[in-house]
Amino acid sequence: MNTAPDDSVFHLDTAHDASGDAHIRITGDLDWDSADDLAEAARTLLCADPAPRRLHLDCARLTLCDSLGLASLLMVHRTCAEAGVSLHLDNRPALLRRLLDLTGTAFLFDDDATGAEVPDTSGEAAAPPSPPPPSRA
Amino acid sequence: MTRVEGSSPPGQELLSSVGAAWTRAPYPSLVVDTAGALVEVNAQAARLFPAAGKGVPLARAVPDWLVEGHRRAAVGGADAAGPVRGRHEQWTLEAHATSGADGQVVWWLVDDTHRELAETALRNEQERTRFLAEASSRLLASLNTERCMEVAVELASQYLADAAVLVAPAAGRRHPLSLCAGGEVEHRTLRIDPADVPGLKEALQGFPPVPSRWIDPSALPEWALPDGFTGPVGSVVVTPLPGHGVPAGALILLRRSDQAAFDASEELFARVFAARAGAALSAARLYMEQSSITATLMEDLLPPLLRRVHGVEFAGGYRAAQDTERVGGDFYDVHPGAAPGEKTLAVLGDVCGKGLEAAVLTGRIRGTLQALLPLAGDHQHLLRLLNGTLLNSRHTRFATLVLASVVRQENTAHLSLTSAGHPPPLIVRQDGAVEEARTSGTLIGVLPDVRSVTAEVDLRPGETCLLYTDGVTEARGGPLGDVMFGDARLRDALAECAGMPAEAVVERIHMLVAEWIGDNRHDDIAVMAITAPRTTHLTAVDGHTAGRYTA
Repeated sequence: MNTAPDDSVFHLDTAHDASGDAHIRITGDLDWDSADDLAEAARTLLCADPAPRRLHLDCARLTLCDSLGLASLLMVHRTCAEAGVSLHLDNRPALLRRLLDLTGTAFLFDDDATGAEVPDTSGEAAAPPSPPPPSRA
Repeated sequence: MTRVEGSSPPGQELLSSVGAAWTRAPYPSLVVDTAGALVEVNAQAARLFPAAGKGVPLARAVPDWLVEGHRRAAVGGADAAGPVRGRHEQWTLEAHATSGADGQVVWWLVDDTHRELAETALRNEQERTRFLAEASSRLLASLNTERCMEVAVELASQYLADAAVLVAPAAGRRHPLSLCAGGEVEHRTLRIDPADVPGLKEALQGFPPVPSRWIDPSALPEWALPDGFTGPVGSVVVTPLPGHGVPAGALILLRRSDQAAFDASEELFARVFAARAGAALSAARLYMEQSSITATLMEDLLPPLLRRVHGVEFAGGYRAAQDTERVGGDFYDVHPGAAPGEKTLAVLGDVCGKGLEAAVLTGRIRGTLQALLPLAGDHQHLLRLLNGTLLNSRHTRFATLVLASVVRQENTAHLSLTSAGHPPPLIVRQDGAVEEARTSGTLIGVLPDVRSVTAEVDLRPGETCLLYTDGVTEARGGPLGDVMFGDARLRDALAECAGMPAEAVVERIHMLVAEWIGDNRHDDIAVMAITAPRTTHLTAVDGHTAGRYTA
């Protein structure tokens, strides 16, 4: 049985919708080989003029995410936070949910946690804005 | 074509056989009588052999090889003799004999020069291609620079020159040299002045070679001559070895004065050879540099041998990914408590990525943890400090790890376990039940703040806590070759390890995972077992065991 070649090879589809939001659909394995591509694609979208208000990563077709894949998601998160763009990780497959839970990074990509939320390290006493304690499912 | 002055009308016999057109034939032709004198010379032949004319002895008009050919044709019969070949001035000629009347022999000459030249050129080209193919395969066969230099001068002295000297870029102030005059290769490391050899200084900087004819062979210094080289130097070629970006050295080719000097095409070919040698040499040099860096790092990063500490067994196992970048991202350490009643800190972790960058990050984590040991009692504080030292604005490379503070009280090993984004440790009880430690936390090195939950676990004798990296659960293999080992198989494997010593647990897990992987590629795999000894003997007081405890 042949699967569609499109789905077996890593690729990214980028688009803008009518409301000005940017979308990246990830297909395939996000790993050592492809991680940099995602960070680069996100950077390119955020540099557009006018900058999008939201960046959606559609993960429905994500087949694998290793540690470098997660590093690239964290890089996209950091880039969005710096640009004031809110990041949404849509259609997370189980493997991604599991990885985010395990590494205590799921809260970064919660839809409520916008890019503006960057805990500041200077005020140690100011606890409230810091991330909630991760819990294991 | 007009008749040539001095040539007489052809004889009756000849005319009858070849006709009047003979004198105008486009190929040189001669008729020789039984006495060896020329009877007839056609226009083309007269142009080729100016001394030839009717009545002139053949020997005075044509080259020796044709005279000899005629002698044999006269004896053995012209038709039976095959063609003879030879040179005349700048031409190569092929002469065919046919018999005329009265024992006369008619010679037909064909200009063979171009074919000869083409064949020679083709042969040379084939030889050079063969040589280059051999050179490449021999040069690339070794990633050792000295061996590579050796092969380069051996090949060069065999095929290109009487002797060859390879001068490598200076290491410090000394240049490594390889010299060969056809026999054994000598290696020397000398303080030389490259300016002593014309063109060498430039070649070492990667400039194009100076033409051989500009180099005075008598000006060569003593060090540039291999021991086995005899006789004065006749000609010299100095050519750079182009490397990857930086020159890989220079090649000096020497020919004795009794040999032909290097011609332009040979100099060009020497450059082609030098390009291959340079590429091989710089590949070898890069590899050697990388492997020496790796070796240096490895010494520090290889997992330590674990043992029994303050009455608790520690065992570790590490299987690196088979990739060429040997230092992987997995690591573990055990820092024994200062005294039997004090906590021992064990750590097992996984750094994102592989190779040098991962190795450097691993080194920083291990070094920082060592420095923070006095604070090991508070895992959360320790992880915050560690996280702070690893934050980096350039990248989001992170690490995940598990901290285990272990202290033995009576027969029980008391563990504080904290995961920082790492798979939580598994605990196998005396009855074979497998539990997951209830700890979780944020990975470190990326986020400004980290949080974690610590689990407190007691191990009774024979119970083991297993720390592992995802290289274990994500190892792909099995009957179909592409199935992950997975959590369930790991738990099943561990269930059979109840009551085993720590080392046996590590061995068993490694064996099962290795069987699962088979020949497939795999990531780094690290496991550490922490076990409360099953029994302790009062007699086993040797300074390592806690002899005062009994089971």
